[in-house]
Amino acid sequence: MIRAALKTTLPIFFGYLPLGIAFGLLFQELGYPWYFATLMGICIYAGAAQFMAVGLLAAGAGFVEIAIATFFLNSRHIFYGLALLNSFGDWGLRKLYLIFGLTDEVYSLMSTIEVPEGADKPQFYFLMTIFSQSYWILGCTLGAWAGTKLVFNTQGMEFAATALFTVLLIEQWIKVRKPLPFIIALIASAIALLLFAQHMLLFAISLSLIMMMLLRATNQKVRDEY
Amino acid sequence: MNIEYLFIVIAIMSAATFATRLPPFVLFSGRGQHPLLQFIAKYTPPMVMTILVVYMLKSVDYLSAEGFYAAIALIVTIGTHLWRRNALLSIVAGTVTFMALVQGWF
Repeated sequence: MIRAALKTTLPIFFGYLPLGIAFGLLFQELGYPWYFATLMGICIYAGAAQFMAVGLLAAGAGFVEIAIATFFLNSRHIFYGLALLNSFGDWGLRKLYLIFGLTDEVYSLMSTIEVPEGADKPQFYFLMTIFSQSYWILGCTLGAWAGTKLVFNTQGMEFAATALFTVLLIEQWIKVRKPLPFIIALIASAIALLLFAQHMLLFAISLSLIMMMLLRATNQKVRDEY
Repeated sequence: MNIEYLFIVIAIMSAATFATRLPPFVLFSGRGQHPLLQFIAKYTPPMVMTILVVYMLKSVDYLSAEGFYAAIALIVTIGTHLWRRNALLSIVAGTVTFMALVQGWF
């Protein structure tokens, strides 16, 4: 099962390692010891928020401002839990850790792939989450500790995240086989890009969900088919 | 450099991030069978995946060489996936293609 979980999360490794290194590199310019990048990977574990943190730390931002900015930057994650309510059982502390580790990439994998036959679901999800976070922590640490001395050129490796989401989009299409959610998401993305490019993810996800629910409430055909 | 300030910032950001991931599980615990929630659970992933792909591709400058490389790598990813339907293979193929083009391996 460990091998299966490693194999499933390997695409996340390719995405998190260069992104983590990029964060670490940026972070060490602040002058703090490298292990604080490790600590941030362990405790915060959110890519965009950690990049934002570098700017906030450099500016000496206030605590309230930091709390609000972080919450809004990550607030799309609220919708991720909605899709996994039935996937997570009453698994105690392990469940809390799964919720803590629900990043874009982990959510995308969990909501698309099936747990391998014969695998224990809570254990498999737990391994997926802890492996993914380990990759992130490794990247953050490497970047802050040895970033400038790295021999291996990771330039372009960040494309792994785009490739991962593209592959999972194809898998979602194979699973769902109905065009409406994809079309709605494209329309919502376009509107969000035009109006709220800064917070595109949050607005596009909220908007598409609202549009989908409105259609379900008002259109008999949508209600029957979806 | 102020270690105390850094510790507090890390604590605040950790709490704020967790606060965005936890609410659905608290608010809707045990109500996952509700038809509307099942509808949301089913159609959020395809919508989120579409939006994430748009998000990743929006920052690419399509008039530069990088835009061309991204298009090629995307075609390789999709083509490999339609051909073998092996997620890892498709992602590695697309990423290696992009790295090779951007770093100028040829």
